[in-house]
Amino acid sequence: MGKEVKLMKGNEAIAHAAILYGVDGYFGYPITPQSEVLETLEALMPWETTGMVVLQAESEVAAINMVYGGAATGKAVMTSSSSPGVSLKQEGISYIAACELPALIVNVMRGGPGLGTIHPSQADYFQAVKGGGHGDYHLIVLSPKSVQEMADFVGLGFDLAFKYRTPAMILADGVVGQMMEKVVLPEQRKRRTDAEIAEQCPWAATGNKRGRKPNVVTSLEMDSPKMELNNIRFQETYRRIAENEVRYEEYMTEDADYLMVAFGSVARICQKAIEDARAQGIKVGLLRPITLWPFPTKPLEALSKRVKGVLVVELNAGQMIEDVKLAMGNQIPIKHFGRMGGIVPNPSEVLEALKRDFID
Amino acid sequence: MKEEIVIAGFGGQGVLSMGKILAYAALMEDLEVTWMPSYGPEQRGGTANVTVIVSDDEISSPILDKFDTAVILNQQSLDKFLPAIKPGGTLIYDPYGIHHKPERDDITIIPVNAMEATFEIGNAKTYNMLLLGALLKARPIVSVDAVMRGLKKTLPSRHHHLLEVNEKAIHRGMDLVAGK
Repeated sequence: MGKEVKLMKGNEAIAHAAILYGVDGYFGYPITPQSEVLETLEALMPWETTGMVVLQAESEVAAINMVYGGAATGKAVMTSSSSPGVSLKQEGISYIAACELPALIVNVMRGGPGLGTIHPSQADYFQAVKGGGHGDYHLIVLSPKSVQEMADFVGLGFDLAFKYRTPAMILADGVVGQMMEKVVLPEQRKRRTDAEIAEQCPWAATGNKRGRKPNVVTSLEMDSPKMELNNIRFQETYRRIAENEVRYEEYMTEDADYLMVAFGSVARICQKAIEDARAQGIKVGLLRPITLWPFPTKPLEALSKRVKGVLVVELNAGQMIEDVKLAMGNQIPIKHFGRMGGIVPNPSEVLEALKRDFID
Repeated sequence: MKEEIVIAGFGGQGVLSMGKILAYAALMEDLEVTWMPSYGPEQRGGTANVTVIVSDDEISSPILDKFDTAVILNQQSLDKFLPAIKPGGTLIYDPYGIHHKPERDDITIIPVNAMEATFEIGNAKTYNMLLLGALLKARPIVSVDAVMRGLKKTLPSRHHHLLEVNEKAIHRGMDLVAGK
C-alpha cells in the first residue's frame, strides 16, 4: 500500500488497517453506523491473501465469545459494533479482561439508550471507561477524531493490548465512522506464525506440548484469597498503563483564558468554534483526550491553574465532565454543553454555549 | 483556499455521490477534503444532504452550520439551507419543483435547469453530473480533469464506458450556467 493517500470512511479504514496489521480474526454482526467494517472486510476477502478469518456471527454475543476464544490462543482478534451491540458484548469483555487476554473491540457509538437512533453519539463513555461489564477491570480506551486515527488506532490498540495483556477499545462516534477523509494506510505486516505466537504468548492455549505445563485460560477462581490476588495483579497492570499510556492533544492552550475539553469528532467541532471565538477576540483552547482511559488527569490539573473557566462538550448528558472535574477540582467553573440522542451540535452552538457560560 | 459546501435534495438524486465525486477530485488535486453525509434511512424520497469541505489546509470541523456554497435540489432543502449560506456566498439550485423562489440579495443565486436538461438528454442518471458541472463553473474549486481522473480511479473498469457520458454532462452543466 505504501504511502499512497486514499479517500475512505472511518469504518472502511478500520477494516483496511486490520488486514494490514496482520490481524488473525474478525468476528462481527452488522449494525449501523459501523456496518462498513464487516462489509469492507468481506469485500476485501483477506482470507485469500493474509489468511485472516472474517466471520459474521449469529449475534453480538457469539462474536465476542469467538474473540474470547481466539484471544485465548494468542491470536490477534477483534470485533466491532455500535452501542446496543456493544452492550450485548459486555459479559464477554469482562471475561476477556479477567483472563488477561489481548483483544480489540471497536464501538462506533450511536444515540441511546435502548435501540435509540442510528445517528452519532458519545453516550457510551461511562460504559467504556468505567467498566461496562461486571467486576473491577479497565479497558484501554482510544478515541479517534479522524479517519487517519481510525486506521492508526487499530495497530496502536493491538500493540497496547498485547503489551499489557488487556482488551483495548476504539471508542468512535458515528461521525468518524461515516465521514470520508484522506488516509495513509500502514504497510502490510505478516500475520505471526504459530511458532512466533507460542514464543511471544507463553500463556496462550496453543495446543498441548510434551513437557509444557498446560495453560489454563479461565476467569473462574472459587478460592477468594486467590481471586483477590488476581485482582491485585490486574490493578497493578492498570497502574502501569495509567503511568505510561496517557495520550492527549492540546490546541491553542498557551494563551487561553478558557478551555474546551472534548473527544472524538466533537473535538474538531470545538476547534472550529475556537477559530471563530479567536476571530472575535475570545482566547479559547482545547484539550482532547486521546486515551479516555487512562484519562489525561495531570495535564488538566495543570491547566486548571491557568484558565478562568472550562466547557466540556460531549454528545451526551454529561459523562466525561465527571473525570474533568476530578482532575481540575472546584476552583474554577466547569460547565457542560451536550446534545443527545443522535444530534450533533454545530460550531456556532458550541461557541454560543461558551459565551453564555463565561462571556455574556 | 477553503470552500465549505452543502449539497442537499431528495435521496436518489445523487446528492451523496455528487459529493463523493467532488471529494475524489479534491484528492486528485492534493487538497484536504472531508465528506460528511447525513447518513441514515434516506433512500429514494427522503431528504439527503452532504457537507463537503475542500481546503489547502487541515480541516477542523466536518460539521458546519454556515456554507460558502449550497447546491439545492428540492424545496425542503432550500428552506433549510438558504439562511445557512454566508453573505457573499453562492446558491445553485434547480427551479424544478421549487414553489418559493429563494430571495436574498447578499448572495449570488444561480438557477440551473438541470432536470429539464436531463429530459432533453434523455438520461436521468446524468442529473447530478449536470449540477456538478454547474457548481464547478460557478466555483472552480477543482478542475474537470481532476473530476475525470477521480472517476476513472474509483469506477470499476467495467463502467469506464460511462466516463464519456459523464464528462459531457459536466460540460452541459457548465453551459447551463454560462447561458445565464
